[in-house]
Amino acid sequence: MNILVVEDNRELALEIINYLTDIGYICKIAGNCEDALEEINSNDYDIMLLDLGLPDGNGFDILKSVRKTQSKMAVIVITARGELDDRINGLQLGADDYLTKPFALTELGARLFAIIRRIHGFTANVLEMHGFSLQLQDYKVSYGTIPINLTKKEFDIFQYLVLNKNRVITRLQLTEHIWGDILEVNSDSNFIDVHVRNLRKKLDKHTSIDWFETVRNVGYRINSQ
Amino acid sequence: MKIKHQLAIFNALTRLLMILLLWLMLPVLVEKIVYKHINKSLIEKKQKFIEHLDKEEINDFIVRNDSAETYASFSTLHSEFLQLSRLPGKTTISKTIFITEPRIIEEEQSDYRILQYQFYYENTAYQLEIGSSLNEIHDLTFTIRLFILVVLVIILLVTFLMDTFYIEHLLKPFYKIIDTKIRRVNEPESFDHTPIVTHSADFQELDTVLNQMMNRISELFKKEKQFIANVSHELLTPVALLKNKFENLLQNNSLDEEAVDKIAAALRTLDMLKKVISNLLLISRIENNQYEANETIYFQSLIDDLAEDFEDRMEDKQLHFTATIKNDFHFTGNKTLLHILFYNLLANAIKYNQKEGEIIISDGFSDGHYFISVSDSGIGMNAMQLSNIFNRFTRINHDQEGQGLGLAIVQSIAQFHHITIKVISDTAKGTTFTLLFPVQL
Repeated sequence: MNILVVEDNRELALEIINYLTDIGYICKIAGNCEDALEEINSNDYDIMLLDLGLPDGNGFDILKSVRKTQSKMAVIVITARGELDDRINGLQLGADDYLTKPFALTELGARLFAIIRRIHGFTANVLEMHGFSLQLQDYKVSYGTIPINLTKKEFDIFQYLVLNKNRVITRLQLTEHIWGDILEVNSDSNFIDVHVRNLRKKLDKHTSIDWFETVRNVGYRINSQ
Repeated sequence: MKIKHQLAIFNALTRLLMILLLWLMLPVLVEKIVYKHINKSLIEKKQKFIEHLDKEEINDFIVRNDSAETYASFSTLHSEFLQLSRLPGKTTISKTIFITEPRIIEEEQSDYRILQYQFYYENTAYQLEIGSSLNEIHDLTFTIRLFILVVLVIILLVTFLMDTFYIEHLLKPFYKIIDTKIRRVNEPESFDHTPIVTHSADFQELDTVLNQMMNRISELFKKEKQFIANVSHELLTPVALLKNKFENLLQNNSLDEEAVDKIAAALRTLDMLKKVISNLLLISRIENNQYEANETIYFQSLIDDLAEDFEDRMEDKQLHFTATIKNDFHFTGNKTLLHILFYNLLANAIKYNQKEGEIIISDGFSDGHYFISVSDSGIGMNAMQLSNIFNRFTRINHDQEGQGLGLAIVQSIAQFHHITIKVISDTAKGTTFTLLFPVQL
């Protein structure tokens, strides 16, 4: 998968591609509208991450010109503005998803996974992890052939951790993923622990889950090894 | 009260006053004119009488009238009389005088205007009285008064209507300015800059000044919008950079436990920073009118969604939550914002509640306005705390976590939608927030 990261803050772009390369994507950076358009025309990209505030123009202009050509490239718009008219514009011009700055890299990873599934017509429907399989279509988990009854939240947490395997996921990241990007400084992160505890209990019944690690004071990590 | 009504009332009152004055003055005026007229004719009659007067005639008069010293004659209908009498002794000759007096003629009493004239004829003093009945005159005065009254009332009505219509016509541009301009000052983008058609220089000036003012406000609004956008970008990009840097750093296996803890703490601080910035920007955006209000809001499903979001927190405190939206009320507004509004109210209702407390959401109509109220059985607030709950960065208890922006946002969103918020709180019973929705056309 080739991803073009259009972001004028080079340091931020580097952090993003650091993460994306880590999880197996091939990335390139474009720092302004001109470079971005040149890249799109000369190379084939599957996905573009598009920051709206660019030094030489508005990111929407790039989106517009991409949609004029018959390109099937998926576009995730990254905006620090979160302005409503931006959203309306973006929807009409055909962005596939949105992320509001600042976002968690793992959230970006989850969104990319969802888009890629969509691109491939939802053929990749199962995630495997140490004998557990997650059926993404109908939110079901089974160990071998034994079905495990998970709540929606437990399933979402499990899937998020599996998608971002081998990475420490903080409680905050999980909270944002489950409850969305709420603006309240809240205490929901404590409830994440409750859900994770329940999830672990349910998984632990079937096999040892020492790969499901609690990182003290920080969060959780699922190790694929 | 509108100017046009005030002017109309003033008009009507001044006219009524004038009519009343005229009505009161009329008898005096009419009397004066009529008396003048009668006096004139009485003088003429006196002159005629005196001209033809001689000794015999006097004697004739007096003798014929058997009562020795007086002669009187009157017309058949007693409308006039003439009386000549001899005055005893010497009297100073007085001039002609007029008096108004009741007289009885043939047992019939009526008012007369009387001319009295005293004169000497061959060394004898005589008094001549010529009277004219005022009965007819009284009748006439009454008719005149009635007639004038009717005319005055007609004039009053006609001029009142004319005035009212003219005032209405004159003030039309003024009301147009109010309706199409002044009421829209809060939405500079949708402000109508077309000049109002008017011939009154005052209104032209008012309109021009208003347009100029709105141009300036629009300009400021645009600048503010640009500023907000820039601030968002400039503040949130570095936050994003730090956040992502720390997230990547956290994956480094060579970190010891202490370093991991510190990174996690830094991430939490960054999250707080992000939320403060975002919340302040949210308030600014609402006040800068950057949100549309064109979605139909279904309160039942909105509250159901929130109840699901808050499931964990409510279970944790074992709260009894009841939400009964009985009315199928359709409100047009901004879904995202109203979601935030109810989110913040519910978050507070949970945060400040007691264990096993209660949260009740109900709706209804009060004075024709739809309302939704959110009640909790929490710690409540005293009057002092209540008075500044909507101020930014206010916290009820300083040991509580949070930024103190939640209710400030609630208020901004409510104002944006013209929703009135009423808060009742009792430190023993809890707090009730009531949202009164405007009547939408």
